[in-house]
Amino acid sequence: MDILRFFIGGVLPYVAVLVFVVAMVWRVRSWMKLPAPAMTLFPAPSPEGKANAINTAKEAVFFRSLYKGDKPLWVFAWGFHVVLALIFLGHLRVVSNIDQVFMTLGMTEAGIQGMSSGAGGAAGILILVTAVILLVRRLLLPRVREITSVGDILALSLIGAIVITGNMMRFAPEHFDLALTREYFANLATFGGVADAAALQNGVFLTHMCLALLLLMYIPFSKILHFGGIFFTHQLIRKQ
Amino acid sequence: MSDSDTELTREEIKKTVVDSISAIKDGPRSMRMYMEMCAKCGTCASVCPVYYGKSEKRFNPAERTDIIRRIYNKYNTTSGKLFGKLAGAEDFDPDDLEDWQKIWYECTGCRRCATFCPFGIDHSVITRKGRAILDKLGMTPDTMAKVVAISLETGNTDGAGESAFRAAIDFLEEEMEEEHGTPIKIPIDKVGAKYFYVPPSGDVLVNPEATMGVAKVFHVLGMADDWTMSSKCFDGANYGLFTGNDGDMKTDNKLYVDTAKELECDVMLMGECGHAYRIMKMMMEKSGWWGDLPFKVENCMPWTADRIKEGLIEFDKSKNPQPVTYHDPCNFGRSCNIVDEPRAILEASCQDFREMYPNRGENWCCGGGGGLSAMDDIIEFRMEVSGKKKMDQIRDTGAVYVATACSNCKRQLTQLMEHHEEQIEVGGVHDMLSRSILINGKAADRVDYTA
Ligand code: HEM
Ligand code: SF4
Ligand code: SF4
Repeated sequence: MDILRFFIGGVLPYVAVLVFVVAMVWRVRSWMKLPAPAMTLFPAPSPEGKANAINTAKEAVFFRSLYKGDKPLWVFAWGFHVVLALIFLGHLRVVSNIDQVFMTLGMTEAGIQGMSSGAGGAAGILILVTAVILLVRRLLLPRVREITSVGDILALSLIGAIVITGNMMRFAPEHFDLALTREYFANLATFGGVADAAALQNGVFLTHMCLALLLLMYIPFSKILHFGGIFFTHQLIRKQ
Repeated sequence: MSDSDTELTREEIKKTVVDSISAIKDGPRSMRMYMEMCAKCGTCASVCPVYYGKSEKRFNPAERTDIIRRIYNKYNTTSGKLFGKLAGAEDFDPDDLEDWQKIWYECTGCRRCATFCPFGIDHSVITRKGRAILDKLGMTPDTMAKVVAISLETGNTDGAGESAFRAAIDFLEEEMEEEHGTPIKIPIDKVGAKYFYVPPSGDVLVNPEATMGVAKVFHVLGMADDWTMSSKCFDGANYGLFTGNDGDMKTDNKLYVDTAKELECDVMLMGECGHAYRIMKMMMEKSGWWGDLPFKVENCMPWTADRIKEGLIEFDKSKNPQPVTYHDPCNFGRSCNIVDEPRAILEASCQDFREMYPNRGENWCCGGGGGLSAMDDIIEFRMEVSGKKKMDQIRDTGAVYVATACSNCKRQLTQLMEHHEEQIEVGGVHDMLSRSILINGKAADRVDYTA
């Protein structure tokens, strides 16, 4: 058990980050090297680079094409991703002492705590709801079900499992002590040795970490690669 | 393009297919990325005319593209090699080829999916890849292969010779003289004329009104000597785009470019043909297939629309009193952005122009795109599946004349009206202009060509 704990808490984080970074860099570099003849699709932004970049940004931030193509899906997909992004930002509190920054901006400790449990708690519920809706939609709508394969279910389930373990910690009777995680991540980042970090004694935290790291490694090899690809494909197709 | 002389063994077939799919790894970038990042969200299915017509797995765009993606994964991704089906990888089975001949011709290449896919994935690119593989194996469907062969042999898809062309032009000149009581010229092979007009497939021989419309515009502007047609090149159609054979596409194209050079024109003025204009403008000219060109590529619709805007052309709209709508050919709308100009011409020449919704870049395909329109062996599919949405859309406008700027669309729409027993006429944009343009202050005493 201690070996597993050490592996997940002390080894896997480095492996996962390395795999993610190397694989993403390799992917993006291999895309860049390929010839990309113009494939205009109208209405297109004007050929200058700036208009094209703005167009791509709109696609990545607002899912504009999807909005035009399938509004119900847009509501859930966009909601899902926005909450995902917020949760990602929220984790800054878990890994670092960002509270200091908020306090210099004039927030009280109670205020931060309130924002965290209010917005954070809502986000934890929202992302679970949207992920479940996306999954149910996938299983119910024939046009989505007939193109669904193991990988699609896996991606959503993995995210679902991460969210559930995260919520278990947040909504547990006694809230997880963030001082422990901050200490743990600080040691990880400085290669300070984490074998006996107190945070790792918590089984739910360990599971949550493990799943998140698996997801991180899965991204470059799965359809979640769209998170890097979208910046390229829209350039390709709308480019004059 | 044509049947290969020697039968390929199963192994050879498999190798050809797998090799050309693995080649995607080396680009183009779009194709490679399409292999790697579909979210399987189903949006393309809800905007595809074929899937609208029949919502079956077979017609789901993401599933069709997955046929190639699975083979790609099998041979080119680590996860595919290790985990097979679990990682979306599957081997190619030569027995599937027979079905491939159908399935790669069940997408009209309209690019509507690309407009709405959150990642801009353009299934027409993969469809063309599938067709290219078939073509390499000599398995392009016969109806298609024949059109390409005739085109490469004679320079036009009807297989017509110079004498047939000249006879048709003589006929048009006579008709126009009868309509307007004054001679209106159609110059042929005139070296040094500023504009070289390249009509769409069949427009000289089958749907002559558009050519008359263009001739009348030049006449009214006093530019009757500034343009010409060619007795060799009178059909812009290029089916190499549709069979996925780049070599055929370029061979067909070169004849036209060479002729334009011989004629020493300043402008190659393309007619009402979506894919012909797209190949010339967006592919040949933009990618510089033949180096620097001594001429520019333009289209006749913006050209005429600009002259109308300048107030140089006048109309008697009462000649076209019926409700008229416009169908945006996918190649003009989504692929070339010629959308306002045909409307400007129709609004100037018709009393009751009405929009069809959605339109322009979001328009639904007629159901005959990607060359399907020429395939009468799949007419049931075109009428009942791929063309279903278009039929609904046209009915909703209440129009009795559908104008469109593409010979493939025209053929498909005409057949749709017959099949669904609708009394709706189908024709071109310059056709309506020809019927109402004023020459010496008077519009044509119209002869009914449809009778
Ligand atoms: C710039 C960043 C991103 C953009 C623009 C983006 C965009 C999209 C879009 C447009 C879809 C299709 C709609 C849908 O099926 O819900 C999608 C699906 C999905 N995305 Fe993202 N995404 C991004 C980042 C991420 C990240 C970082 C993750 C996960 C860690 C992720 C996970 C997913 C999943 C699991 C689906 C599939 C949902 C389903 O199966 O219905 N995305 N994304
Ligand atoms: S719309 Fe795009 S991402 Fe969604 S299933 Fe179709 S191709 Fe895939
Ligand atoms: S190109 Fe047109 S017909 Fe083909 S999959 Fe896309 S929307 Fe459907």
